[in-house]
Amino acid sequence: MDLLYKIFINPFVEMIDGPIFFAEVIISGVLVGAMYSMVALGFVLIFKASGVFNFAQGALVLFAALTLVGLLELGFNLWVALVFTMGVMVLLAFLVERFMLRPLVNQEPIILFMATIGLNFALEGAGQIAWGSDVKKLDVGIPNQTFEIGGILLNSFDLWAAASGAILVVVLALFFHKTFIGRALRAVADDHQAAQSVGIPLKTIWVIVWSVAGLVALVAGIMWGSKSGVQFSLSLIALKALPVLILGGFTSVPGAIVGGLIIGVGEKVAEIYWGPLVGGAIENWFAYILALAFLLFRPQGLFGEVIIERV
Amino acid sequence: MPSWANGSGRLPEPEFIFLPLGGLRPMSQNGKTPLLQAENISLSFGGLNALIGISFEIHSGEILAIIGPNGAGKSSMLNVINGFYHPQVGTITYKGVTRHRMRPHEAAAKGIARTFQNIALFKGMSTLDNIMTGRNLKMRVNFLLQALHWGPARKEEIEHRKFVEGIIDFLEIQAIRGVPVGRLPYGLQKRVELGRALASEPDLLLLDEPMAGMNNEEKEDMCRFILDVNDEFGTTIALIEHDMGVVMDISHRVIVLDYGRKIAEGTPAEVRANQVVIDAYLGVSHD
Amino acid sequence: MIYRETGQFKSSYVSDQAIFPLSQDRWMVFSVMGVAFFVVPFVASEYWLQAVLIPFLVFSMATIGLNLLTGYAGQVSLGTGAFMAVGAYITYKITTNIPDIPILVVFLLAGLVAAGVGIIFGLPSLRIKGFYLAVATLAAQFFITWLFNKVGWFYNNNPSGTIIAPPRTMFGIMITGPEATAETRYLVGLAFVTFFALLAKNLVRGRIGRAWMAIRDMDIAAELMGIRPLQTKLLAFAISSFYCGLAGAMMVFLWLGSGETETFALDVSFQVLFMVIIGGLGSILGSFLGAAFITILPILLTNAPPMVGIVMPIALSKHLEEIIFGCLIIYFLVVEPNGLARLWQIAKEKLRRWPFPY
Repeated sequence: MDLLYKIFINPFVEMIDGPIFFAEVIISGVLVGAMYSMVALGFVLIFKASGVFNFAQGALVLFAALTLVGLLELGFNLWVALVFTMGVMVLLAFLVERFMLRPLVNQEPIILFMATIGLNFALEGAGQIAWGSDVKKLDVGIPNQTFEIGGILLNSFDLWAAASGAILVVVLALFFHKTFIGRALRAVADDHQAAQSVGIPLKTIWVIVWSVAGLVALVAGIMWGSKSGVQFSLSLIALKALPVLILGGFTSVPGAIVGGLIIGVGEKVAEIYWGPLVGGAIENWFAYILALAFLLFRPQGLFGEVIIERV
Repeated sequence: MPSWANGSGRLPEPEFIFLPLGGLRPMSQNGKTPLLQAENISLSFGGLNALIGISFEIHSGEILAIIGPNGAGKSSMLNVINGFYHPQVGTITYKGVTRHRMRPHEAAAKGIARTFQNIALFKGMSTLDNIMTGRNLKMRVNFLLQALHWGPARKEEIEHRKFVEGIIDFLEIQAIRGVPVGRLPYGLQKRVELGRALASEPDLLLLDEPMAGMNNEEKEDMCRFILDVNDEFGTTIALIEHDMGVVMDISHRVIVLDYGRKIAEGTPAEVRANQVVIDAYLGVSHD
Repeated sequence: MIYRETGQFKSSYVSDQAIFPLSQDRWMVFSVMGVAFFVVPFVASEYWLQAVLIPFLVFSMATIGLNLLTGYAGQVSLGTGAFMAVGAYITYKITTNIPDIPILVVFLLAGLVAAGVGIIFGLPSLRIKGFYLAVATLAAQFFITWLFNKVGWFYNNNPSGTIIAPPRTMFGIMITGPEATAETRYLVGLAFVTFFALLAKNLVRGRIGRAWMAIRDMDIAAELMGIRPLQTKLLAFAISSFYCGLAGAMMVFLWLGSGETETFALDVSFQVLFMVIIGGLGSILGSFLGAAFITILPILLTNAPPMVGIVMPIALSKHLEEIIFGCLIIYFLVVEPNGLARLWQIAKEKLRRWPFPY
C-alpha cells in the first residue's frame, strides 16, 4: 500500500507542491532533449539518404569535437579551426564512401549497420590516438550564465544550444525540400539504382550526406563538449539518441525532434520523481523502456509511415 | 504410384520405398465440390480499393486461372486466400469452414501452399534445405531430441529427406541439390520454389505467375510439372498467369479480374469469346 | 590432392547428413579434440590456460549463442553481455544459497533462467525487426546491468558489490574458486563447450535450424510456409540466451573468479558480435574461429611491439586495438561477409585441387 502510494500518488503530489521546481525539471528535460534531437538528426539524415543506420554517429560527434579542441589547443583561431574541422569531416565522408559504402552497395541493411559499428570503433580509436584521451575543456564563447524568469532558473547556455538546434533543423529542412541536392538525396534514399539511372551521381550524394551528418555531429559535439568537456563519453550520447529514433521513426526529421523532447523530459521527470524509489541512475535505461513500450503500440514510430508488406 | 516416386535419387538406399506421407487423395478430376468459396470479398488499403465485392469458387481438383491486366488485384486475391491480407468485407469458406481472420501460418497448416511473383526463396539455404523447409509443418519431434539428433529425431529427418528427394527427382533438379539458391538462375529458382510448395503436400496450391520471365522451353517444363501435380495428386491449383497461351492450354476454368472487380468467369473458350474481357485487355474506355 | 573426397560414396541419407561427411574432416576434428583434451592440459602453462584458452572457451560459448540468434535466426542482438550477466549472477545466487547442488547443474539452471529472460526481451521481435530490434535489445543490456548493480539481493548484499566464485567440488575435484587449478577449469569448460557446440550443430541442421534460417532470409515467405514467426524467434532468443548465460557463468566461475556488472558491459556485447561477424554469420565452426581470433589478437598486439623493441603506452595500444578491430570488421564485411568460416572453406577447396590450379 505504502509502495503503491509512493509510485502512483506521491510523485504527483510533489509535482503540484513545487510547481517552480517541476517547471525547472521540465525545462531542463526539454533542453537536454534538444541535444538528443541533434544527435538523432544525424542518424535520420544518413538513414534517409542512404538507408544506412549509422551506429557511428556518436563516434562522429566525438571525433568532430576532439578535432576541434585539438586544433584550438594548437593555437588556431576559432573560425579557422571550425573550417578545418569541417574539412576533416568532409574528408572522412570521402573515406567512408570510398572504403565502406561503395564496396558494400546492395548489401543487406543489417550488414551495413554492423559495418558502421566497426567504423564507430575505428573512429573512437583514431580520434583518441590523434588528440589524446583525457577530458578537455571546449570554450567557443557561448555565454554561460544563470538567470531567472518568473522564478524559474534558466541557463543561457542551454538556451543557446536549443536555439542552434532549432536553426539547424530549419536549415536542414529547407536543404532537403527546396534544393536540387535535397531532391536527389530523397531519390537516392528511395531507390539508389533508379536514382542512378536518371543520372544522379550516387557517390557524390553519399559524400554530401555523410558530410552533412559530420556537420550535424560537429554542432552536437560543440554543444555537448562545451557543456561537459570533450571526452570519450561523448560518443555514448549516441546511445541516448537511439531510443529517440525508435520513438520518432528512423526517417522522420520532426520525429527526431519530438522524440528527443519526449525522451529528454520523460527521463528527467522519471529520474527525479520516481528514481529515488529504485535507487536512482535509471536514466540509462528509462529511455529504452519508454521507447520499447511505445513500439509495441506503434511499431513504425511516431511519424514513421505504416508499412504495407507485399509479396 | 506417382511417377516421381520411381525416379531414383542420387543417393540410392537399398530399402528405398517412397510413399507420400499424406497418402494419395482420391482423385476428383474437375469435380464440382467447392474446396474454397470466396464471398463478396472487398479489400482496400487506405483509399485504394484493391478488391471490390469478389465472389468465386475453387473446385476440388481443378486448375483455375486468375487473369487480368496489371493492377487488377490478382496477387491481392491470392494474399487474401492464404491469410496474408485480411479483407474488410466478405468471408472465405475453405474445406467447409468459414473463417474471418486467419494468420498465414494457419492457412499453411490447413494445406494451402503458394509460390510468389517475385521469388521468395530462402537465399542463404541450399536447394535441399529450401524444399525441406516445406516439410517443417509435418515434423513433430521436439527440440530436445533434435538437439541430441538421436532416435526419433534422426529417423524423422531421414524420412522427410526421402520425400524431398522424391520431389527433387520429379522436378529434375538433382544436380543443384546442394547449391545455395541465391546462386541459381531465375528459371531454376522458380522450379525450386514450386518444389518447396509441393513439399508441404498442399490441398490447394496457389501459383503467382509461375512462368513469368521464362523462355518457351522453361515454360513447357513448368506446364508439364503443373499438369502432373494436378493429375497425379489431384492437387487443386489456382494460378495467376499473363501468358494467355499457357492459361488457355492448362486451366479448366478462368476468372478475369479488372480494377478489383470480377468481370468474367468460365471455361477458357467462354472467356476468350467474352466481349467484356476483350475490352478490358484492349483498353476500351470505362464509361 | 591432399584433400580429396573422391571415392567416398554416400550410400545412405544418414551418412550424407552427417556433420562431417568427409573422412578428412572427421579425422581432423577427432585429432583436434584429442589434443585439446589429452595433450593441452599437460603441456600448456598456467598463463596460456588462464589468458588464452579459458577465455577462448568462454567466448566460444557466447559466440555460438549469439550466432544462433543473429547468424541463423537473423535477429541482431546487442544484449549479449546482459544475458551473460544473468547466467553469472543467477549461478552465484543459487550456489551461495544452496551449496549442495552440483555446480555444473547450477550452471544449467542459470542458463535456463537466462533463457527465460531472453524470451522476455525477445518478445518485441514479434512486432519489430532489424535495427529497431537491435536497439530494443540494448534495453536489455542497460536494464539488466542496472538491476544487478542496484538490487543487493543478487549479490547477497555484500559491500563490494562483486560476485566471487566460491569453492565448489564435483566428484571430489575442485572446480571453481581460488583453489581450482587452471587445468581443471579448462577441462570443464572444454567439455561444456564441446557438448553444447554439438547440440547447436544438431539444432541448426534440422527442422529448427531451417525454420530460423527461413525467418532470417524471408520472414513473410516463411510464415506463408507455416512457420510461426513468434515461436520461432522466441525459441531462438531462448536458446541463444541459454548459451550466453552459460558463457557468463563460465566467465566468472571458470575464468575470472569474480565479476561485477562492469564485467558484462556493452563492450562485451560488441566483442561477441564481432566474433560472430569475423568468424562467420551462420556457422558454428566460424564461432570458434571468430572467438579465437578476437581473443588472441589483443594479446598479440600487447606482446608483439615489445618483442621488436617498441614500447607503447597501454592507452595507445588499446586505441590501436580499437582501430584495428573496427577496420577488420569493415574489411571482413566488404571482402568476406561470411567470415573466417568461408575463408576456411575456400582454403579447403584449394587444398582439394592442389597442386593444380583448377
